[in-house]
Amino acid sequence: MTRRPRAALAAGLVAAALGLTACSGDGTEPDAVAAASDDTLVVYNAQHEQLTQEWADAFTEETGIEVVLRNGSDAELGNQLVQEGDRSRADVFLTENSPAMSLVENAGLLAPVDQATLDQVPEQYRPSSGLWTGIAARSTVFVYNPDELSEAELPASIMDLAGPAWKGRWGAAPGGADFQAIVSAILELEGTDATSAWLDGMKENVTVYQNNIATMKAVNAGEVPGGIIYHYYWFRDQDGTKENSGNTELHYFRNQDPGAFVSVSGGGVLASSRNQDEAQQFLAFLTGSTGQEILGTGYSMEYPVAGGVPANPALPPLDTLQAPAVDPSNLNSVEVTDLMTDAGLL
Amino acid sequence: MSVTSVQTPRRAGRDAGPRPPVALVVVCAALAIVLLVPLGYVVSVVADVGWATLEPLIFRPRVGELLVNTVLLVVLGVPLTVLLGVGGAWLVERTTLPARRFWAVVLVAPLAIPAFVSSYGWASVVPSIHGLSGGLLVSVLAYYPLVYLPAMAAIRGLDPALEESARSLGSSSWAVFGRVVLPQLRLAVLGGGLIVALHLLAEYGAFAFIRFDTFTTAIVVQYQSTFAGPAAGALGVVLSALCLTLLIAEAGARGRARYARIGSGAPRAAVPQRLGAFTPLVLLALAALGVAAVAVPLASVVRWLGRGGGGGAWSQPELPAALTQTVLLAGGGAVAAVLVALPLAWLTARHPGPLARLLEGTSYVAASLPAIIVALALVTVTLRVLPGLYQTAFTVVLAYVMIFLPRALVPLRSGIAQAPVALEETARSLGYTPLVARLRVTLPLLVPSLAAGAALVGLGAANELTATLLLAPTGTRTLATQFWSQASAIDYPAAAPYALLLILLSVPAVALMFAQSRRWGVR
Amino acid sequence: MTTLSLAGVAKSFGRVEVLRDVSLTVPAGTRTAVVGASGSGKSTLLRLIAGFERADEGSITLGSTTLAGPGRFVAAHRRGIGYVAQDGALFPHLTVEQNVRFGLPRRHRDPARVREVMELASLDPALAGRYPHQLSGGQQQRVALARALAPRPAVVLLDEPFSALDTGLRDQTRQAVIDALEASDVTTVLVTHDHDEALSFGRQIAVIAAGRLVQSGPPSAVFDNPVSTEIAAFLGAAIVLPASTSGADGVECALGRVPVRHDRTGGGPAARLLLRPAQLGLSPANGTHNAVVEDVRPRGSHAELLLRTAGAAPVLIPLRVPAHEGPSYHAGMTVSVTVTGGGVLYPAD
Repeated sequence: MTRRPRAALAAGLVAAALGLTACSGDGTEPDAVAAASDDTLVVYNAQHEQLTQEWADAFTEETGIEVVLRNGSDAELGNQLVQEGDRSRADVFLTENSPAMSLVENAGLLAPVDQATLDQVPEQYRPSSGLWTGIAARSTVFVYNPDELSEAELPASIMDLAGPAWKGRWGAAPGGADFQAIVSAILELEGTDATSAWLDGMKENVTVYQNNIATMKAVNAGEVPGGIIYHYYWFRDQDGTKENSGNTELHYFRNQDPGAFVSVSGGGVLASSRNQDEAQQFLAFLTGSTGQEILGTGYSMEYPVAGGVPANPALPPLDTLQAPAVDPSNLNSVEVTDLMTDAGLL
Repeated sequence: MSVTSVQTPRRAGRDAGPRPPVALVVVCAALAIVLLVPLGYVVSVVADVGWATLEPLIFRPRVGELLVNTVLLVVLGVPLTVLLGVGGAWLVERTTLPARRFWAVVLVAPLAIPAFVSSYGWASVVPSIHGLSGGLLVSVLAYYPLVYLPAMAAIRGLDPALEESARSLGSSSWAVFGRVVLPQLRLAVLGGGLIVALHLLAEYGAFAFIRFDTFTTAIVVQYQSTFAGPAAGALGVVLSALCLTLLIAEAGARGRARYARIGSGAPRAAVPQRLGAFTPLVLLALAALGVAAVAVPLASVVRWLGRGGGGGAWSQPELPAALTQTVLLAGGGAVAAVLVALPLAWLTARHPGPLARLLEGTSYVAASLPAIIVALALVTVTLRVLPGLYQTAFTVVLAYVMIFLPRALVPLRSGIAQAPVALEETARSLGYTPLVARLRVTLPLLVPSLAAGAALVGLGAANELTATLLLAPTGTRTLATQFWSQASAIDYPAAAPYALLLILLSVPAVALMFAQSRRWGVR
Repeated sequence: MTTLSLAGVAKSFGRVEVLRDVSLTVPAGTRTAVVGASGSGKSTLLRLIAGFERADEGSITLGSTTLAGPGRFVAAHRRGIGYVAQDGALFPHLTVEQNVRFGLPRRHRDPARVREVMELASLDPALAGRYPHQLSGGQQQRVALARALAPRPAVVLLDEPFSALDTGLRDQTRQAVIDALEASDVTTVLVTHDHDEALSFGRQIAVIAAGRLVQSGPPSAVFDNPVSTEIAAFLGAAIVLPASTSGADGVECALGRVPVRHDRTGGGPAARLLLRPAQLGLSPANGTHNAVVEDVRPRGSHAELLLRTAGAAPVLIPLRVPAHEGPSYHAGMTVSVTVTGGGVLYPAD
């Protein structure tokens, strides 16, 4: 048997292998990202997929502009945008909390938001830079199981939860952007040392859950007496089956406590976007009456922040929550994850 | 004819030529280099970020916790899977267990249920399930078939005369099992145990769902908090080191001992061991295992489907697209993996030697790294070096090839080894050129191996969660990612249809693996 | 060293009857060869004795101990019966020495015993550390025998132990095995399909056909006086000629008048006469002839002649002559065949 034909066959097989591999890539790509053609708006979405999809559908209906979502968490997508830099295919970035947006802003990747859009949003819900805008708000709450905790036992401040009395008695989802935003508020209000000490206490005390819903479900089931979550998870479940919240109550910290922190969800346009007009239209739509009414009347239960649109009547009005004053631009996500990594929570 | 173990098909006598063609070597080397990208990434994290940055990230209490969790998981989980896998295989192959064929199928069935679906099923029934005990329960039930199948194949290939000789030498049935059967299963158990251990290290969904932290879940959390940052890289370095340690330990334990059946003689059916009074007890234990591993997850899925309210769960708009995209991506992965495996398998089967072993070893090392590492590596490399491939289906397919290549390599290699060179030579003596001879004689013989490899890769890819989450193009949803997003939002009814589709998609591959294990046994 | 007895043993697998009413006694310290065609049930017989299978009927006793019988079954590992499988069945994960001492009780792993049985089986002590796949086929079989003998079993069973070996190696290995068995004075049963092997193995031969023990006894007696022409042909080259009775001193057949050594007709009409080729003498026709050479085929060490008998109903007889005599015969030549000794007389089919 000679060697040459064997080599020729091997080369042929391999060429076919590589060729077909490439083909299979090319072949599936158009299908998989069919929607992401040039004139489609690519939204890096860290907000709840269901809410953003509602927004996107309404926007497409109104303007005819197609929208495709890349879903992820705040910090993941924020860091991803920073790494992608100018090469990003993202047009719009929507977050649940502001720290990830600040991260992208500080990397110089955001284009200024149209003045008309900014004018729709009160100043306390957007940064002074004008590089992004608030689109919704959510409040920190302490969800608890009245069978396990009496009203007298409720914590006066979120800072109390780091004390030994709370060992094994509260749950949270420190891996999520929501909780990390709350920590960033603590950092902003109490400073690095106090935050670091609080996180150490938390590491001792907390039962870790995957996310807010899992935390609430555990409290409801009596697995843990209380937990730190955002308000709307509770109201959504109350509005629905009450399956995961029927046995629970909410406790608001109020009194400008770090635990009364109201987190602003942000929306921004990427400077590298090739669809600037459409992207700006999308932000204008979100902060306009139609977009905000979806918040006020839809399933979301988040607080509208613009155009005087009232929140869902089931919610306590935003101005009764006595939230601490925090400039969203100052919230530092990088230091928070470093501190939480140091504390062993990440 | 000598029958060797399933893991190491013998190549003696099939050596077609000592020196492989240059083109084949070049192509295989190029493929091996691509396959080594994830390992290169891990090394480059160390080099890039610098030890000064990594050291505090690696030597901190959190990593200690993860190490304890992960090591306990492997140290407790692997022996349990070996116990269930080998015990189950012995019961169905060598005892008077009633309805042996039925139990043989029941024992392999958990393989059709992705571990994260099993986790979801258990969390539905026992909401408080969590931590090491929960992680062990779910993962042992999900992964013991990975030991059961090779153990079954090995037992079927075992000459009953060995067991009979031992009995005639005065060994009781337990002594025969311990002194003769078990040592013959060493390779199968080591190989299966290694695969289980690598799965345990790589699993994300099943553990994240029930709050059990391992390196992989911690890397995903870090990724979600910092994208592909140094902390994720640091954890990845430790995780990769664990995987490579396991790989080396297994190779060491495998040693040089050979487990060939000697001489000729057709294997005869073995006389089954009488279970006698133990029969009810054994049946009860098997039934309990079947309920825990199969019935609980299935019942949960069915229950949530019912709860979804008259087809409501089936009318989710994302469902058809997720199904289509899963099939396209997994199909692409399957075809690509088989085509990449072909030259590598050809080289190792037809031109065995140090070079072939090196290249083959490379592909196994690459595939032993968990999906999360492959994903981090490809995110980083495509973003920094090949932005054109960033967030493309090509990259997802490439990740599938890297993760699942051995599933294509193993059947293809034994397929090529079993296609005698003499057939090609005969065809050539009948006037065909070597190429035509190969296409007309060898290729048709390889069709079953090609199909088996493609099916196994495709169904692995269809269930893949971790890498798909990180790498998929914007707007792409697969059944696994959709299931995951619904289940982690505790929307159990909405997750149920995806779970059911994932299970249904897995059934053919599991049936194939089962059939192969039974056939390998008597070859 | 104990007598092994089987009485009325029967075994079926599902509806297939494999053995029926087999009774056999192997006297203490002797060797018996069980011979039969493949599928005759001989291996099953061995497995019943070993305790790998359970007999449906009948009993198996060893000395005064019942191993298997109504309501009684001694498990294989408690029988003290050694077993050598067709391909040796050496444990591939153990060395030769570890294989040989496998059956010795843990407390009595006497290295001297291992050396002793290895020597008995003509095994070089240098092989002790080798693994089975490093041995030749003949060595593997001798290790298997040494392993079976090591625990001093009452009985050793050999299941076609030489069939997988090459011809030369087979004879050599067989002699080594017989010597070892002889030296250890153990009761032995060999199962084989090779009639030469069976006839040369020991004191007794037992012929099995279609699940029944059709004949047993000393090899020479069985060979000399087979119960049927089929058994006769199975045990060696046989010449069967039509015959008719004519007087007390012999029968008339194509080769003339031949005395009767054994009469199996039971007084009925004679029909067939069995002769062995060695009884026939051949010389070129000298006036009278009783056969014609049909064909001459050189066969190396000998030549094979095909003879056609003269007379009304000719019969073809194959016959061997030494190779150097081959050229003295040619087709069409008339020859004279003489018969020495008598034949065995059988009734018609």
